[in-house]
This record gives sequence, structure tokens and C-alpha cells, in this order.
Amino acid sequence: MATVELTGLSKAYGDVQAITGLDLAIGDGEFFVVLGPSGAGKTTTLKSVAGLVEVDDGDVVIAGRSMRGVEPYHRNVAMAFESYALYPQKTVFDNLASPLRSGRTGRYSAADQQQRIDAVTTTLGINHLLRRFPRELSNGQRQRVALGRVLVRPADVYLLDEPLSHLDAKLRAQMRAELKQLGEMSRTTSLYVTHDYQEALALGDRIAVLRAGRLVQVGTPHEIWRTPVDSFVAKALGQPEINLLEAEVADGRLRAAGGAVDLPAPRHLDLAGGRARLGFRPRDLGLLRAGSTAPVGDVVLRGRVGLAERLGRLMEFSVDVGGHDVIVVADSDAGAREGDVVDLHVPLTDVHVFAAGPAGEDTVRLGGAAVREPAQERS
Amino acid sequence: MAKELKPGQRRVTAGSVVADLMIVAWFVFSLFPLLWMLLLALKNDADQTSTYFAFSPTFDNFVTVLSQRGQDLTSVDFGQAMWTSVLNCVGAVLVSLVVGVPAAYAAGRWKYRGSENLMFQMLSFRFAPELMVIVPLFVIYNTLGIFDTKVGMVWVLQLVTMPLVVWILRSYFQDLSPELEQAALLDGYTRIRAFLTVALPLVRPGIAASALLAFIFAWNNYVFPLILTDSAATTVTVAVTKFLGGGGQAYYNLTAAAALLGALPPLVLALTIQRYLVRGLSFGAVKA
Repeated sequence: MATVELTGLSKAYGDVQAITGLDLAIGDGEFFVVLGPSGAGKTTTLKSVAGLVEVDDGDVVIAGRSMRGVEPYHRNVAMAFESYALYPQKTVFDNLASPLRSGRTGRYSAADQQQRIDAVTTTLGINHLLRRFPRELSNGQRQRVALGRVLVRPADVYLLDEPLSHLDAKLRAQMRAELKQLGEMSRTTSLYVTHDYQEALALGDRIAVLRAGRLVQVGTPHEIWRTPVDSFVAKALGQPEINLLEAEVADGRLRAAGGAVDLPAPRHLDLAGGRARLGFRPRDLGLLRAGSTAPVGDVVLRGRVGLAERLGRLMEFSVDVGGHDVIVVADSDAGAREGDVVDLHVPLTDVHVFAAGPAGEDTVRLGGAAVREPAQERS
Repeated sequence: MAKELKPGQRRVTAGSVVADLMIVAWFVFSLFPLLWMLLLALKNDADQTSTYFAFSPTFDNFVTVLSQRGQDLTSVDFGQAMWTSVLNCVGAVLVSLVVGVPAAYAAGRWKYRGSENLMFQMLSFRFAPELMVIVPLFVIYNTLGIFDTKVGMVWVLQLVTMPLVVWILRSYFQDLSPELEQAALLDGYTRIRAFLTVALPLVRPGIAASALLAFIFAWNNYVFPLILTDSAATTVTVAVTKFLGGGGQAYYNLTAAAALLGALPPLVLALTIQRYLVRGLSFGAVKA
């Protein structure tokens, strides 16, 4: 167990800047998730901590000790690779025993090794595979063995690189639940890299969002979800993506989509040039039933349903609001069909206001449309 | 109309028949000298210059080549030359492996200033004509006193075998994911142990293929032993030609028998590890 600090970490591969001036401080025992799209520098970050990548600048500090010039095998970190990196010529048992036999993770008698391996394989449900070779395993099983090779040994830091990425959706959800329990069980400082926002939100004590090698935001899942620093983070979290509409201030009102969206201009925000970008998540929008009215204070958007897709109990509606497509996810019994004119409503607290900017460019979040941030209210 | 094909079956078309015939023709053309040599090796002295296929075959030539009479004719002990060749080639291959395997690993894993130039330089030993360096080598060998010694032959033959070993094995190492060794580093193993316990066992097929190829190339080498040895370290390639006689009578049948004997060791080796050989010959172009 240990704290991990990254200070001004930079690494370039030739002309490509993988990470730039990365600063992070990870607490002892924390389960810390690094989230970002592919190419954001997530794996480089992990490998820098492991010492597998020689950084150009900055330092990694583990348990208060600078890791500059410290070889990987002296860092006492364990890593699960995205590619699994299981030794093909060794059985599952020997793969798991490998870190216990090196002599650098402690001394283990044959009985100790057996006991540790039994414990971890039972937890991961792979104890019937010990005699097999990696090539005889499914991807899901390989993933578990790779995780097992990490968990079988004590370490200051566990580094997990997309450990669920190659699993099918069902297995991924199941493993996510298991990982959560494992994380809580082992209480070892863990750095977990993923591009899947659901994994990040479900697992992380805190999340760091990376973009093109730079840190965009660090916070608890709640903070990241409720108060993303910019539209990039807002878009990175949530499927379908957050709806963004360009808006203008006039007569104390903030209007978008040709007036179809109309809300009181938030006076606590500095809307430069009288322009802004509004964001609301598909799940925060509600579909008003015929005859019912929206709760007081909610913003109401009228539009025509262009597309209705059934996702099981929920349905995804693509609604044309003043010429802009707005995605809504609502109960399938909402009763709207393609071609219907519907009213959508969203609480003011769930409307995010971003700075205006050129199309396709991400801009910072100024705040919520409501005077008080929901994060402060609810947490 | 299209009949379902069983595994291994293929559709017979006019084109495929023509292609097959062309391949057969090529085989006949290229294998005929070999056949002729085999026939020649079985002919007695009287028949050796005849072009008849009908003759009474004899194995006497093989016996003669290996006997005292063969030695009297050529002043070279053919059996001894075979043994010298074995020692030379095994020596050269061992030297190439001991030095070449780590070199190939380094070349496959790390890029540094001039690394490609270094690799190309090594490859140039393969395609530069040996005759280019043979005269200076002759002088150097005489000066150093390693002319006509096995040490000298191993030394020069590893120039032939080393580039093969390094180039073939480099491609094998490049095919290995570096994350395997990285995993070993994090398991607590030093770089050397990661190399020895993780990377090395995985390229064993490559080591077998490159060692075999290197052996064959060293075995077949003619120019170096021709110039750099006399009687003490004569190799089989040079010994074979002695039966053609230096100005005296040429024993074509004995030459053929000797050549066949000389071709046996690499042939046997090649057949035993044929499986790896194809991959080795393609320089690892087939990615695993």
C-alpha cells in the first residue's frame, strides 16, 4: 500500500506527445480510474508508473520515494496488461506463480505459493484451469488469469490496463461487479485505466479524465458526472452523448433551437457575448404524457419524434426540436411514436451551461442553469 | 454445377493442369543434374563417361572414396575432411548462436542511433562476394598463424553464419510482444532473467531454424576453405573436388560419390527439422 504522485510527467514517442505535464496525486488504498479515449495517454501513464516507459520529464513518486532511475523490478508494482501478456509456454499455475518465484515480492515456500494461488483462483473462479496453457483459454479466462497474476502478490500499487476491454458485454458487467468487491477486498492502491465511462463511474473512488495526453478533470464519479469541467468530459460520460445546443441571451432569457428551448438566463454566470452552449443528458430529459404538465420550473422543449428505438424497458427517442436533434431516453410506456409531437422537460438543475465556441470544439462548463450547483445540493 | 470440394481437393481447370505441367517440367530440369550425379556415382570407371542409362551399378565408388586408395588418389583423407567440416560448422554455428542470439534480441527490441546501419553492415557480409576479402584474409591468416587450422575456419565461417542467425532471430524477437518481458520485469525478474526465462524459450523454433540454415551455409562454403586451408583443415567441399584430379586423371564417378556423401549430413538435418526451416527461410515474413 502506498500513495502515488505524478508530477509534471511528460512522454513523447518521436513526434507524438503521449502525455504532457501530467500531475496526479493518488491516495493510499484509493481505487483511481484514468478515463479517456484511445490515444489519450492512459497506457503510457500506467507504464510510466511501472517504469516500463522512460519518461522525458517529471517524476513518479511511490510511497514518498522518487522512482527516477528505479528499475521496474524494484518498484513493487503489479500490472495487468491489456494484451494479458501471459507467458504462452507456462501453465496458468506457473503464470500465477511467476511473481511469487522471483524472490522480489517476498519469500514463499511451495505451500505458501499453492495457498496464495488457490485463494486468488477461487475468488476469480479459475481454479479449474490451473493445468491449462493460455492458448487453451477463452479471452475472459485469460483476462482473469492476468488479473490473478496481479492479485496473487502483495504490491504497493496495482496497475490495471483496460482489464475488461476484451470481454463481451455481459461478462464485462459481471466482472465489473466482481472487481468492485476485489478492490474493496484488497485495499491496495490501484490505478485502473479504461475508456468505458460506466466502468469508471462504477469502480472509481476518483476519476481522472485524460484527453490527448493532458489531464482534463479529476474528481469523484459524482463530481465528474454532475459538474464536468467542459463539454469534452460531458460528452465522454454517458451513452447516448449529452445533447448540446447553441443558445443566445435576449431579454433576460436564454434561447436555443429557434426559441424552442427557452429558459431564464442564469445571472450567476458570465455569458460572454451573450452566447452559450446548453447541455442536457438524454436520461435527464423526460417525456411529458399527454394531458400532464411539467413540474414547476422545468424547461419544456416541444418537438417531433423522428426516430424511436426500443432498448428493452427503455426507449431512445430522437426528437426534432426547432431543427436540432435532441436525444431522449425514456420509459418505453411513454407512449410516443414516430411522427408524434411531444413535450420534453428537464429540471433546471440538470441543464449544463457551457461557454459558446466554434462548432465541433469543446468549451468549458460555466455552471448549471440553476443558481445552485446540484452537486452541492445532493452530495 | 460446382461440386463441393473435400478438404485438400481443388478444382481441376485447364489453367491448373498447365501450371502443374510447368512445375513438373521445372522439377525435371532442375533435378536432372542430381539424378545424373546419382547414376554417375554408381558407375564403374569404364562406364563413367558413357551416357547410357544401362550399366551394372556398383557401390565400390563410395567405398573407394572413404578408403586408403581414395586418399592415395587425392592426398586427402575424405573421412577426415567430413569430420573437419562437422567440427568447423558446429563451431561456427555455436559461436554465432552465443553471440548472435543476444545481438538479435537487442536488435529486435531497441532502436538506437545507427542500429539499422549496423544490421545492414552485418547483412552485407552475406551478399558481398567472398572473393573480395579472400586475399587480405589469406595474408592475415598467415601472419596470425591460423592458416589451415580449425580455429581459423570457425573464425571465418562464423562470418557466413552470424548474419543469418541475427537476421532470422531478430524477426522472431520482433514478433514477440515486448509486454511479455515487461510482465516478467514487474513480476520481479531482472532484464537478463526476463530474457532467459520468457523471451528465449519462445524463440526456440527460430533458433533451430537459424542454426540449421547457418550449418548448411557453413557446410556449403567453398571459397574460404579452398584458400585458407591446406591438408590439415581441409573441408568436405574442397575434398570433393580433389577427385577431379589436378591435371591427372579425373574420376567423375568418385567425385559424384564423394559429393553425395558430402551432401548427406545437411540433408538429414534439413529433413529432421523441416517444419521450422520454412519459417526460417522466409526470414520470418510469415507473422505468427
